[in-house]
Amino acid sequence: MKRHGVKLAGVEFANPLLVASGTWGFGLRFRSASDRLGGVVTKGITLEERAGNPPPRIWEFPGGILNSVGLENPGLERFRSEILPRMARLKTRVIVNLAGSKAGDYPALVEALEAEKVDGYELNLSCPNVAEGGVGFGQDARTVEKVAAACRKKTKRPLVVKLTGNFVDPAETAQAAEAGGADGVTVLNTLFGLALDRDGRPFLGARTGGMSGPALKPFALYCVDRVAAAVSVPVIGCGGIMSGRDALDFLSAGASLVQVGTASLVDPDAPVRVWKELRSLCRGFGSWEEIVGRARRTG
Amino acid sequence: MRSVRAPVVANRELAPGLFSLWAEHARTARDARPGQFLNVKVSDGPDPVLRRPISVADVEKDRLRLVFRAVGRGTGLLGRLKPGDEVDVLGPLGRPVRVPVKRNAIVCGGGVGIAPLLLLARYLRRANRVTVLLGARSREELILDREFRRLGTNLEFATDDGSFGHRGPVTELLGPALEKADNPVVYACGPRPMLRELVARAGDVPVWGFVEERMGCGTGICYCCAVKRRTGGYVRFCQEGPVVKLNDIEL
Repeated sequence: MKRHGVKLAGVEFANPLLVASGTWGFGLRFRSASDRLGGVVTKGITLEERAGNPPPRIWEFPGGILNSVGLENPGLERFRSEILPRMARLKTRVIVNLAGSKAGDYPALVEALEAEKVDGYELNLSCPNVAEGGVGFGQDARTVEKVAAACRKKTKRPLVVKLTGNFVDPAETAQAAEAGGADGVTVLNTLFGLALDRDGRPFLGARTGGMSGPALKPFALYCVDRVAAAVSVPVIGCGGIMSGRDALDFLSAGASLVQVGTASLVDPDAPVRVWKELRSLCRGFGSWEEIVGRARRTG
Repeated sequence: MRSVRAPVVANRELAPGLFSLWAEHARTARDARPGQFLNVKVSDGPDPVLRRPISVADVEKDRLRLVFRAVGRGTGLLGRLKPGDEVDVLGPLGRPVRVPVKRNAIVCGGGVGIAPLLLLARYLRRANRVTVLLGARSREELILDREFRRLGTNLEFATDDGSFGHRGPVTELLGPALEKADNPVVYACGPRPMLRELVARAGDVPVWGFVEERMGCGTGICYCCAVKRRTGGYVRFCQEGPVVKLNDIEL
């Protein structure tokens, strides 16, 4: 394959490898790795600063983790004044993940960021770790469409909706996102999880968390396959990608881009390693189009 | 940031369930400072997924010493490593302790918490008057006492069962040590109840401590290792710690 670029709503990404929101901070800790990727999806930003959930915030099980960080972030203003200037020198695409506690927060965030040098937005309609909004929005197709449409009015930049797989058919919410004018959908966010300590008490400080890691891959792959058949906008695959082979599977299932998440917590080198492995696995192909969605073309 | 594979040189059980592992890696050994930790991969597969953060207990030329309690599957796998095996480590991570000069430093450790204080005491004794207080449940469980003795600092012991040194918690040794010291500063590592007790007994003396909290990445990108600040909000202890001023956080 000669050209590795991928387009999303007219914007070119140098390669299809992105990092998932919340697993890579703001791309600043490992700058040179960020610069070798197609793009960085930031930690979720809310209008107001959020302190996050009480600890413990992480629990482990064979094949994955639960987290309950709870969208700890500096809020829109400090993101603009303190973090974005430091991100300006990143030589990669910057997608800002946006989170709200009410539907109106999302267009307000988009509007506020239009003057800034960012490349696109990912609407987090699927965070399982906050009391208000978050996953509640993503479980209702009408809300997904409404939020996507309200944001669409504010921007021409790439607009992606991050979907949930919790008690909802992501094909339906993906269609709603497309109807609202989204340029793509990320499939998918963490799944609900509960961990108990020895005495039967919830282990996580926030009581429940979101599941991620390699154990999620078959379900995420299933959802990508299902969503890709239901919409015509690009799908961004996410869920347990640890290797180039995992990334390739997501492309084959219908994803145009992929996000590496939990793997980065184990190895900061993981996103770049996954990209290198994917690149060498795809050497015999002429273009990404030959790979994307081939699982459905071949039965 | 790349992890490195370090050959295991020795792995020995110091006390029941407490292991001392020496691994060799020149650059990591050269860079490691008191207060820092290595994030250690314990499995090649996805069980467990995450690395295990372990403080650097000591450094000798190209070698690093990790002392840990084998409590679960992850650290259990580490305990089984043998010379000739390799261990995949990321680090050193975390913010090094700022080593003062010309202070009366009181170093207080309990249980496996004694371990990271060894490297710290080595640095402290160069330019400070150092008193080391070490506690364990029993003489059998007391670790690294010989290494501390070789440092030549003031040294006192406490065991819960009285089998060695003072009978009772090591925190009871703090008061008398503070009385003898002007301009003191305390460094501590141990179980949370011990740290809480130390902060209470220290009054307005600063207590710098190694805090243990569940950790995700160890590199500051996941925001999982939150420790509550007294004035509100959280400290990411893999970034601002792991040694933080205990007087400022909710233990």
